[in-house]
Amino acid sequence: MDKSMKRRVRVILKSPMIIVFIIILLFFTPYAIYSPGESRNKGVVTAIGIDKIEDELEVSLLTFIPTANQSYQEKSSVISGKGDSVAEAVYNAQIAMGRTIGLAHAKTTIVNEALLEEDITSTVDYLSRVASLPENTVFVCTNKSAKEMLQQSQNLVNDLGLKLEQIIAYNANNLYVTDTSLEAFYKGYYSHVKSSIIGYLEVEDDLYINEDNAEVSGAESVSGGQSEGLQGSSNSSSGNGDAKGKHIVNQGQAMLIKEGKKVAILDVEQLNGINLLNPKSINQIIEIDGVEKEGEVYSMQFRIKNKKVLISTTFENGYPIYMAQLILGVKLVEVGGEHDELRLNTEFSEITDEISAKIERAVKQQFTSSINILKENNTDVIGIGRKFFQDDRKSFKKFIDDIGGIENADKFINYVTFKLNIVTQSD
Amino acid sequence: MKKISINQCGILMVLCIFANKILLMPSLMYHQTSADSIFVLLVLFLLDFIMLPIFIKLKKVYKDDKFYDVLKAKIGVFFTKLIYIALLIFFMFKCLLVFSITYVYFKQQIYQEEFIFLALIAFLPVINHAIFVGVRSFSRTIELFFWIVIAGFIFCLVISLFTPISMPLFFTSNSSEFFSSMYNHVFAFGDFIFFFLIMDRIDFNKGKTKNLYFYSLFAMFLVLILFFLFYAKYQSTAFMHNNALADLLVFSVQFNAIGRLDIIAMLTIMFITLFQIEIFSYAFCDCFMSIFPLNKTFSVVIFDILFLLLYYVFIGKYETMVASSLFWLPYLAVFVNYLIPIIVIFLLLRLKNNINDS
Repeated sequence: MDKSMKRRVRVILKSPMIIVFIIILLFFTPYAIYSPGESRNKGVVTAIGIDKIEDELEVSLLTFIPTANQSYQEKSSVISGKGDSVAEAVYNAQIAMGRTIGLAHAKTTIVNEALLEEDITSTVDYLSRVASLPENTVFVCTNKSAKEMLQQSQNLVNDLGLKLEQIIAYNANNLYVTDTSLEAFYKGYYSHVKSSIIGYLEVEDDLYINEDNAEVSGAESVSGGQSEGLQGSSNSSSGNGDAKGKHIVNQGQAMLIKEGKKVAILDVEQLNGINLLNPKSINQIIEIDGVEKEGEVYSMQFRIKNKKVLISTTFENGYPIYMAQLILGVKLVEVGGEHDELRLNTEFSEITDEISAKIERAVKQQFTSSINILKENNTDVIGIGRKFFQDDRKSFKKFIDDIGGIENADKFINYVTFKLNIVTQSD
Repeated sequence: MKKISINQCGILMVLCIFANKILLMPSLMYHQTSADSIFVLLVLFLLDFIMLPIFIKLKKVYKDDKFYDVLKAKIGVFFTKLIYIALLIFFMFKCLLVFSITYVYFKQQIYQEEFIFLALIAFLPVINHAIFVGVRSFSRTIELFFWIVIAGFIFCLVISLFTPISMPLFFTSNSSEFFSSMYNHVFAFGDFIFFFLIMDRIDFNKGKTKNLYFYSLFAMFLVLILFFLFYAKYQSTAFMHNNALADLLVFSVQFNAIGRLDIIAMLTIMFITLFQIEIFSYAFCDCFMSIFPLNKTFSVVIFDILFLLLYYVFIGKYETMVASSLFWLPYLAVFVNYLIPIIVIFLLLRLKNNINDS
């Protein structure tokens, strides 16, 4: 080693940062080498299910246990624990699993309907406090058992390559036209209207599908139609056998929640009505009957291809009036009734005054029925009150004071008169 | 003595303005004044901003003098030391608050229960080193990373525009809530006080003083935009999200598919925190050396011991630290943030009278 090299080494060693760095290396390198891999003691939870069974809570965790294998298939299993609280049930599930649980990848949270008989926030309080749980975890309600749904969700993945959150994401984008995450639930819960919408999926026995739908045997098929949705294989590969012969049914329903409690289950028609004033919500089908053309009577189905919504609010004699003009671009997609030939791009596509009037009536009926549900339950999930507040803060505040103050702000929707003007155009 | 340029001083100002405001504060403020917190922030920024011309004027009058010496000459040793003791406590708790908030943030990010030992090993040597090498060296390091940090910050803001946002509802709080929110969060302000301490180490010949206005307004603007976007995105649940800058990136369905995009927020926050702790710990040691006739090594050792003691013995829990910053530290902050400028104004006026008399 020549002199200049020696001098350089001496200068480097004089720097305290280098010494600190060497100490850190000496300390942590053996520690890192001898530390066991996290996969040995960690179970990655991809979905959480919470059920209320009598007085107890059962938490089921769809867990992916990282193991080395030669295929690309993920090994998941549903592991459950019971307890008086969610924290205790999770703790017991953890014991059953023999690993600590990691919730950072939990993309779905499912609760059963029984839990929504009471304020659900006390149940999901644990989840809201777990910082590692992503709050965009999809929040879903199921009719019977969240555990069964988790077991069936595995079958969906195995048979169809379809994940539960993808089904909900489809519903959220096309039907609810709103986010249905745990975050969105809280957003509604803590707002003045105290209401939210969450996804609703059913788990039904094969028998149910047998009764309503003639096509049953194909276990690996996706059934369409109004009443049946998705079918996974009926042979549970990982469950404990409870879920055999059951299927997840997606009818596009959603649950309307007020103050954390279930108030109504909304079907596709009602959801479409609620979303009528939402310009993002398109592709719905409008069905009209009794359209006369060349002496024949037809039923017609139109799809909403585009939508323009103009909204204004006012207070008339102190009462709130919500006025909306809806410009619908529709496309004829199906013609029912007796007609001999298939005619495209001809007079059927023309929006006559009669068709326009019938569409207007159908849409108004749909809207009125949906708004009535919201009014009955004081659940302004479409932000009517917010619009009034933004447009005329003073009159809104005065009105809220007149109906009993901010505590009654959720009842505001009950007093609103809706005036809907619909213009139909051919797309 | 090697001095820092005006640009470097401006960069330090940006980091001081970011301190304790970009993670937890939007959420804490929302609890009290909902979206009106933006106006609370604006008023507190204005109060802080008034200090900048006062500082520039003082610096121009007392070019190469230490702030300690200026005070000592005018108000005596006792009161000067009293002010410096207040500053010492102020900067120690600023350090602790920045560290606590960021530590909890990283704990969530790496899914660990506790890794305080690792965090301290990562932070303390770097901080100690920064104190040893002095303000010029760490300013140059910060200058090197500054635009990367700003790019990360702006990236987080821009990404939030791709997720659903709606106009926050303003003017929903009353004046009592407004002023109590101002008082409760005043400890996170007083961002220009540090520059009084290092006024003798800034060279006003290197660059234009108007750059200082640019840097501080730029930082305030970014923080205001952060608050606005955060409230526009989360609205009624804003109080549930403790890491504003990072939370603008996550929880968006659109970006969930792109792996861990929040790594950008993590890196930005990591650098910002490290630099802020360097600044505040340096301020602590500077005050310590002014109060006690001891050298830098001693002050660094005292800083480390106090930092660890306070963290473990008194605070230990993040919640206690946050509660302290809201309830009893504002007393100290009001004293430090607003008393020092008043004293400085008094000094400047007295100087003017003396000149007029002569």
